[in-house]
Amino acid sequence: MSMTTWEPGDVVEEGLSALRAHDAPPERVERIRARCVAALAARRRTEEARGWSLAGWRGWLEPALALGLGALYLAEAISRALAVYR
Amino acid sequence: MDREIELRLVARLTAGDPAAFEAIYEAYRPRLFGFLVRLSRRRDVAEDLLEETWLRLVTRATTLTADARLAPWLFTVARNLYLSWRRSRAVDSTRTSELDPAWPAPERGDSPFEAAARAELERRVEAALARLPLRDREVLLLVGVEGMTPSEAAGVYGLPAVTVRARLHRARERLAAEIRASRPESRAKAG
Repeated sequence: MSMTTWEPGDVVEEGLSALRAHDAPPERVERIRARCVAALAARRRTEEARGWSLAGWRGWLEPALALGLGALYLAEAISRALAVYR
Repeated sequence: MDREIELRLVARLTAGDPAAFEAIYEAYRPRLFGFLVRLSRRRDVAEDLLEETWLRLVTRATTLTADARLAPWLFTVARNLYLSWRRSRAVDSTRTSELDPAWPAPERGDSPFEAAARAELERRVEAALARLPLRDREVLLLVGVEGMTPSEAAGVYGLPAVTVRARLHRARERLAAEIRASRPESRAKAG
């Protein structure tokens, strides 16, 4: 009890401390737990799928870009070399 | 709940850890249920609102800030859901009926005499709480029963702490008057 301004023997403090704890029935407790854990798992799956999708996209785009830029560089080098010999 | 443990649980829940949910669920479920059942005075309604409160927590966990305090967050959601339920059902009275006499409660291991005396006091307090206006009842439940500080309760209401302290003072006086009036000797005098 955090109502520290109350006097000892206070009728309200005494009364509220007489109240017992309650809980939902066990089957409802389990149902709520199952629904929440399922919701958390669904969220994790969605996040993982999004992560995989991004990883897959990066998986082909990065090598393609590197290959393209490499080809451009090589073409330019060859053309300059040819220009020197002409 | 220890603040460091709470902060770790918030971080793990935000990351989607089911074990963090389990720990929070075990720590706060009975408290939330007691709060909801004493607000609504109906177990079926309290069970539905409890379920919705927990679903809100897991579906909105990513929006929790790293320093979120779980108790005020959960009680705020539970209270708002209860107020929405009241509005949707057009519950026009600020006072509610007394608890179902078949209210199940765990045994405390008292002697039969102590158990009877405690049950009588509990019955009178529950009845007195039920006769209070909603705003008095909820502040007493949050601070007097759930052990929140007036500042934490102020977070639940979205009001300044000084306003909540004043409301708490008034609610205490009203509850004390109701409890005193319900004493057998008081009722005998009145009769």
